[in-house]
Amino acid sequence: MTFDGLQLQFLADGLFSGALIGLGAVGLTLTYSILRFANFTHGDFISWGAYLTLSIVGALVATIAPDAMRFKPLSFGWPLIAAALAAMALTGLLALALDAVLFKRLRRSGNGIVMVIASFGASLALRALLEFLFTSEPAYFSRAIQIAMPIGFGIRVTPDQVALFALAAIVVVLMHLLLTRSHVGRSMRAVSENAALARVVGIDVAAVIRFTWLVGGALACVSGIMLGLTVQIRPQMGFDLLLPLFAAAILGGVGSVWGAIVGGLVVGVAEAAAVQWIGAEYRSAVAFLLLIVVLLVKPNGLFGGRSP
Amino acid sequence: MSATPILAATDVEAGYEPGLPIVKGASLSVLPGEIVVVLGPNGAGKSTLIKAIAGLVPISRGAVTLDGADITSHPAHLMVGRGLAFVPQTENVFTTLTVEENLRLAGHVVARDRREDRIAAMFALFPDLDRQRRMPAGRLSGGQRQMLAVARALMVEPAVVMLDEPSAGLSPKLVAQVFAKLAEIRATGVTILLVEQNARAALAIADRAYILADGRNRHEGSAATLAGDPVIAAHYLGLGGDRSVAS
Repeated sequence: MTFDGLQLQFLADGLFSGALIGLGAVGLTLTYSILRFANFTHGDFISWGAYLTLSIVGALVATIAPDAMRFKPLSFGWPLIAAALAAMALTGLLALALDAVLFKRLRRSGNGIVMVIASFGASLALRALLEFLFTSEPAYFSRAIQIAMPIGFGIRVTPDQVALFALAAIVVVLMHLLLTRSHVGRSMRAVSENAALARVVGIDVAAVIRFTWLVGGALACVSGIMLGLTVQIRPQMGFDLLLPLFAAAILGGVGSVWGAIVGGLVVGVAEAAAVQWIGAEYRSAVAFLLLIVVLLVKPNGLFGGRSP
Repeated sequence: MSATPILAATDVEAGYEPGLPIVKGASLSVLPGEIVVVLGPNGAGKSTLIKAIAGLVPISRGAVTLDGADITSHPAHLMVGRGLAFVPQTENVFTTLTVEENLRLAGHVVARDRREDRIAAMFALFPDLDRQRRMPAGRLSGGQRQMLAVARALMVEPAVVMLDEPSAGLSPKLVAQVFAKLAEIRATGVTILLVEQNARAALAIADRAYILADGRNRHEGSAATLAGDPVIAAHYLGLGGDRSVAS
């Protein structure tokens, strides 16, 4: 392999999109392992997170921060950060509300297939609502053009990409600390492994499930913001990301935060490599292929399925 | 008996499906500081009864009281805070959590300033676990897991510990160790209610016993009396009339 830019640029692109996929997959893997069903609405939480952030940024700029400066060389300023925090909370609450009106009732039946189909229907409804509210025209956090900086070996990255990659790393470390050092995190792992025993130990399983929805929604929102900052915002954006998300979660091992991140990076780099060497039309096929190979060779995933 | 029971179940009917009770009107009482064992053939409803008391199986009739307070059908996760700890028969530790994490998880209902003391006390009681405190519980041996499950239950300084067949799947040597440890725990003032298939080992440490069959009480009495009754021993306990059990 040479250090020619065209040869290695896929690594930077792949790692960035992999971080984005990984963050989304962390939320998915947590809800998957604790709630025991493949939640198709997770992709729509990503879209909703992006649109909620966009709306709050718009409201902030229109009211209290019309002259807010961006943090050069980044494409955004403090309104986006404030909006992101608010939107994370709102996306978490959206997930919680959906659980209260739909999944909580169906959970009593104990039928996983019903939950999956219901999540598919809810996903359609959430997406249609976004299109109704915002139309299907693409939207952007910023129309400022960012110049990609050379970082060596012929690789170029934008300042936003660097900042968002760092953000993803911070979020993952925070998630790891949450799951290993806090009572609520240990409770999430306990419920994921054995909900009946968790009750015996004194854990309020319903409260843990509520917290999981909040965290999963907030992480989906971060993924949506990352995607929106680097590409564009569309009602379909989260749903389109579902396949790589599931591939990453299963590749890493369901329930494993680090597994989801590693899985996301592998899927992201593999997709970018496919775009560079095979053709962009095969990008989605790579995620499918990885998913099939993992399910055949190591169904429990790289990290065995349940470690944090 | 003049003392007030710390735990009592009265005419309990319970089962997993509505209209299909497995326990059909069983009663028991446990006095403070006692070891009481529930025995009986397979399918007698022993485990269902103890799970119903623990809030894990719906109770359709009857009442359960703990220290005089009604706890019938209270949510399982609130029982431990009330002083009633339960050790299930299988899958009784979190295998992906370390030994210490298992104890910390259980200790969240203990006052914050007492938690470290409780963990130290559990490691003092079970030195084997102390040596493996950072190891995932899934890598412990069967006997060690059982000890961890008991330690996890004791973390909260419960008034009563209920154990569902603690000897299941263990070698005779480990069974002896587990029962010796239970006797040691009782000596600290903890009341124990035990469901067991291993009648010989259980009666050897118990004060009293109940024998269930088809979800109902069949016999009750002191452990020595029941173990010494050749008819009961042969029919319900699989002891073949061996009178040495209670000695």
